[in-house]
Amino acid sequence: MNNDIIINIEDVAKTYQMGAETVHALRSVSLQIRKNEYIAIMGPSGSGKSTMMNIVGCLDTPTKGTYLFENENVATMNDNELADIRNRKIGFVFQTFNLLARASTLKNVELPLVYAGVKKDERQQRAFAALESVGLQDRTHHKPNELSGGQRQRVAIARALVTKPSIILADEPTGNLDSKTGVEIMRLFGELWKNGNTVILVTHEEDIARHAHRIVRIRDGMIESDTINPSPAEV
Amino acid sequence: MMGISEYFESARIAYQAIIANKTRAFLTSLGIVIGIFFVIMMGWFLDGLDNAFDKTINAIGTDMLYVDKWSWGGSDDWRSVQKRKPISYQQALEASKKMTTAELVAPHASKWGGKITYQGNTLGSVSIVGVTAPFVNTPIGNLKEGRFFSETEDVHSVEVVILGYKVANAFFPDRSPLGEIMRINGRKFLVIGVVNKRGTIITDFIDNQVFIPIQTFMGMFGTARRGVQIAVKAGSQELLDEVREETRVIARQVRNLQPGEEDDFTINESQMFRDEISTLRLYVWGIGIGLTGLSFFVGIIGIMNIMFVSVTERTKEIGIRKALGAKNRSIMWQFLVESSTLCLFGAFIGFLLCATVIFAITSAFPDVDFLTPYVPLHLLFIASIVSIIVGIFAGLIPAYRASRLDPVEALRYE
Ligand SMILES: Nc1ncnc2c1ncn2[C@@H]1O[C@H](COP(=O)(O)OP(=O)(O)OP(=O)(O)O)[C@@H](O)[C@H]1O
Ligand SMILES: [Mg+2]
Repeated sequence: MNNDIIINIEDVAKTYQMGAETVHALRSVSLQIRKNEYIAIMGPSGSGKSTMMNIVGCLDTPTKGTYLFENENVATMNDNELADIRNRKIGFVFQTFNLLARASTLKNVELPLVYAGVKKDERQQRAFAALESVGLQDRTHHKPNELSGGQRQRVAIARALVTKPSIILADEPTGNLDSKTGVEIMRLFGELWKNGNTVILVTHEEDIARHAHRIVRIRDGMIESDTINPSPAEV
Repeated sequence: MMGISEYFESARIAYQAIIANKTRAFLTSLGIVIGIFFVIMMGWFLDGLDNAFDKTINAIGTDMLYVDKWSWGGSDDWRSVQKRKPISYQQALEASKKMTTAELVAPHASKWGGKITYQGNTLGSVSIVGVTAPFVNTPIGNLKEGRFFSETEDVHSVEVVILGYKVANAFFPDRSPLGEIMRINGRKFLVIGVVNKRGTIITDFIDNQVFIPIQTFMGMFGTARRGVQIAVKAGSQELLDEVREETRVIARQVRNLQPGEEDDFTINESQMFRDEISTLRLYVWGIGIGLTGLSFFVGIIGIMNIMFVSVTERTKEIGIRKALGAKNRSIMWQFLVESSTLCLFGAFIGFLLCATVIFAITSAFPDVDFLTPYVPLHLLFIASIVSIIVGIFAGLIPAYRASRLDPVEALRYE
């Protein structure tokens, strides 16, 4: 076993019961991800990408199979333990940004630190530093609806970064952005990777996926292919 | 452990939620507003009642016994009480002579519905009380101004009168009645004194009295059918048991009772009012608790309802918070803080309402001196605690539901 492996998924399945019908969102997936990888997960709509991201991100637990996150078995964890892992180890970036509308940029970025129990002064410093790293240091008191889409996504990235997590999970992070803004966001992910972060992003755009170093394709809840990108695009 | 930063985060969210929806917050906390209003008004009124009670007790005298055919309390059987023979003046005199432990024994007789006239103005339904000179030393005979009559004046049936507070106030609101001539049931009397105010709103009839020498009284009204009462002053509360015992023995003697025969008199004392008051207290309590309970019930339903709405509206937010690492109990806490803040907000409006109403009542009725013109501090404290508990109670189910939301489902919610 390689200690570099932070995510180790073995024969994981996820089913949903819709009345009499059983929906197989994931049939059987095995996947290992090492530290500082840059992975794109691709596949048609409904293939199970989000389901897999939710499991990887400890938002959800598999119906079947084992999932070791940094060698700890996530499949058997309770709500509190999962919340703790999400708080300390995982940074989420969503397609729809998912910022709190009533809170300022700074407060939004502070939020994970609130749940980590970090004191106010340190929290503000760290949140400010994270905003600085995405170039939004002069927007700290704006509300989300006073920002452009690209700026909102950068706030979300700052929020994902602020706890210094082991991995950044992004589910269609450019899905709601125009291509020029999308490229800016992709530049941020590239920087994160260069700084030693592990980045996993879901996308169905080849243009976006070509920035990644490894591309996993999913179809009907199964892994169709898992390939190395020989020449990742630089932004 | 709930971090302090999380607490402030919850309080901040609650504050924002209320500010964002002031009207809704006000309407939903209306039940709480009214509940708190009743709690405070009830407490305030009971405080006043206790106050009035203390004043009354002091006016009657905590070391006083009143031997009478009639009983103040409701404990004696009314029929047998009615059949008792009145206590005669002779019996009262005899008892006075025999008593050794009491500081003072003062027979007196009353007539209800007396008529007092001064310069063509008449005041009806005044109690005319015939008393002896030592009566000045009972709590009832406490002089505000002037003097009491002497024993000689009593013996000679002199026509002098000491006015009760209300009578004096009715005829002479802004000057002293001393030296004036008034007619009592047609007969002329010289006013020589005024006694202190004793009554409060529920007992203010006791100030509607005048005192004349008992010999004069008997000359005017007789006592044969009416009978007299005997006021016995023990001197201190510690002596009360001893004096009561002697009073009973002597009263039985002068009434010629055989061993085994029941007492045909009652020894009344201030303690008896305590029972009456505690019944009244119980009624106020019962009504107050009923109304309060009802409004809190309505209030809880309202708050619970709005909390369910709040949870639904913020499903997505809950999902986001959970994704960022909020534990179930943090979410639960957040909504409990919100519902109790909502209730506290209601309580605050309730306070303002109470303060206004209390101020209005006490301004409109300045005579009602046993009620405080402000909201007592301990009631504010109790009401705040109650509203927070009510808030937690009302928020419990919605908060629990919020805390149990599945993060993935919550994030998908639109
Ligand atoms: N909560 C749920 N209940 C029932 N079925 C579900 C649920 N969540 C997902 N599914 C089903 O599981 C399958 C995979 O869904 P998933 O969201 O993972 O797809 P996806 O690859 O992310 O698609 P898209 O590209 O459209 O986002 C779909 O058929 C979906 O209908
Ligand atoms: Mg998806």
